[in-house]
Amino acid sequence: MAGKIIADTLETGAGADISTSYVVNGSAKAWINYNGQGTIAVRDSLNHSSLTDNGTGNHDTSFSASFNNANYSVATNNVAEINHARGAYGVGVAIAGSGTAILMTTSAIRLYSNYNASSTSNGGGVDHNLNLLNFMGDLA
Amino acid sequence: MQTPEFQGTHLWDRLCWAKENLEAYQSDYRVVYEDSIDECAKILVPDPNWMACALQGGILPPVWVYHELAKDEASEGFKRHTRGYLLHETEPVEAMTEEEAIEYLILKDCPRHVWENYNEGNRPKMVICKKEQLPQTRKWRNAWKISEELNIAA
Repeated sequence: MAGKIIADTLETGAGADISTSYVVNGSAKAWINYNGQGTIAVRDSLNHSSLTDNGTGNHDTSFSASFNNANYSVATNNVAEINHARGAYGVGVAIAGSGTAILMTTSAIRLYSNYNASSTSNGGGVDHNLNLLNFMGDLA
Repeated sequence: MQTPEFQGTHLWDRLCWAKENLEAYQSDYRVVYEDSIDECAKILVPDPNWMACALQGGILPPVWVYHELAKDEASEGFKRHTRGYLLHETEPVEAMTEEEAIEYLILKDCPRHVWENYNEGNRPKMVICKKEQLPQTRKWRNAWKISEELNIAA
């Protein structure tokens, strides 16, 4: 691709500088915003090829450019519904009782959306509208 | 828009180019499959930005590259990919039709045991349909199965 710039450091006009490795290593290598309700659909994304609806609140997403290993990091979101007795909704990496991820490979990951338990209800899986995730790590 | 010559360019850079230059494409196709008798039917939804890359051509690697990397990852003692270059240095695939893109996606993202013998047994384990053909509400979602009364086109 044309227009390649090779640099080790970026510097502002005020003299503050940062190593480009911060930018390269610190950028999300994949992100996704999807609707888990109805016929689930991806609103927008980078570096994903598909989203799979496995059941209530249970989704897999696959990457186009695989990660180098399965030890990448996932930043997930919580949303709180105003005027609702239930706890906040959240989406995260689906884990088994042992604490290990159910599916977390270099090319795909299983996510689970749920609402937290509160004094008036148990928590549980839920299809929620706003699932926002960033994935960080080294690519293959 | 003409796709730049991308062979040898990191796949992630190609995806960033596509994100900037291509219009995302929301496909109406869905792939419904069952990979375990103990679980409900699963529904694969194509990513709109990925679909734009598939329709454009010259961006995505051939699907066998993913199979090679999956083999590596399944091997004993796997720590990290050492053949990631296959993603970047293999000649990208040409533009696909939407239907060809769905076939590619099945081979890439559905479990191998599903697509290898999806039409064996008493009823199909995988069906490609339009999203309008799916139930319009998610009632009893965890009990959904592929209908045994499907009239499937060859």
